[in-house]
Amino acid sequence: MADDRRAQWLRGVLDLCVLAELERGESYGYGVAQALEGLGLGPVPGGTLYPVLGRLERAELIRSRWVDSAAGPPRKYYAVTADGQALLAREREQWAGFAARVGTALSQAAPR
Amino acid sequence: MSPDGAAAGWLDDLGRALRRENVDGWHHDQVLAEARQHLADSGEDPLVAFGPAVDYARLLAGELAGAPVTPPPSVGPARLLVEGVVKTYRGRPVLTGVDLAVAGGEVAAVIGPNGVGKSTLLRICAGLESPDAGSVTVTGGLGYCPQRPALVDLLRAEEHMELVGAGRGLSRAEARRHGARLAADLDWVPDRRLVGDLSGGTRQKLNVVLAALGDPAVLLLDEPYQGFDGESFLDFWEQVWHWRDEGRAVVVVTHRPEQLKRVDRVLDLGREGAVARRRSR
Repeated sequence: MADDRRAQWLRGVLDLCVLAELERGESYGYGVAQALEGLGLGPVPGGTLYPVLGRLERAELIRSRWVDSAAGPPRKYYAVTADGQALLAREREQWAGFAARVGTALSQAAPR
Repeated sequence: MSPDGAAAGWLDDLGRALRRENVDGWHHDQVLAEARQHLADSGEDPLVAFGPAVDYARLLAGELAGAPVTPPPSVGPARLLVEGVVKTYRGRPVLTGVDLAVAGGEVAAVIGPNGVGKSTLLRICAGLESPDAGSVTVTGGLGYCPQRPALVDLLRAEEHMELVGAGRGLSRAEARRHGARLAADLDWVPDRRLVGDLSGGTRQKLNVVLAALGDPAVLLLDEPYQGFDGESFLDFWEQVWHWRDEGRAVVVVTHRPEQLKRVDRVLDLGREGAVARRRSR
């Protein structure tokens, strides 16, 4: 199914997408989920997202802090660390190369 | 069920499931708070967003188990240092040169069969008895929870908190507030009853609350969960991991093996020349 395949694609790069989203600005779990959905990456369920955030945090690629909110309980905000930014810069390039090669492989024209 | 009700029920399930997976203390609270916030923000059905609570808890537990060791909360100098403690009762040697060092952010378990001197060691650490030889050094405040609650039957729980709090520099209001918070962590809401009218389990909870009042740096707990039901037993241990995460040095006398694999040190007084084994975690 198309949706299943898309979910699988996303699984491979979700951590990078989350890192990139947090590089654009500090955010919290649901905020990241909404942003990624807004980018057309489909819904990212909490059960998938929070484990990724946890993994990134344990790897010290992101860090978190609790911020009191005017209404309701405090919220856990995440931001990219210097290590996270460095990794993202590397992987961004890798991904661009890989995506281009997949594009070539899938193209209708015969590869050179 | 209303969406709120569904979320609350699912969060309760998640809390229990996490504890069954041995995810508690700091991680437990973080996961719960974040999931609660997510459900409140999104209004999503928890089953759609996270799946069954049991599965989500298992997934997280697996993640944490596979995680590179979280940086140990900087194990510093010993808050409690026991060196060569010897104690003899009526000519019978009970403690024969016990050594134990517990730093802030560590939990030590004292184990061994009845009569090997576990409670005696804690009483010596608490300064209630003197060793025949050796020394005990405590850095910072000390909280001691005796095996049998030392309570006054004709006083209320809050009055106990005020009395003990006064000894630790807390105002009456501070003592009551802190006591209520500690009690809530053990799933107990103190009421106006005289302590003599409380059940054994509730008296033990008060006993634990009094030991922890005022956030002492060193906590000595002598099998404080007798009379606790299963859920309270888990609450108690969760509290122990909290204290560890907060950087306290905690010593627990225990007969129960369940939690031993998670403590930092095990002092087995049943063995000759008892020396605390350092555990990796």
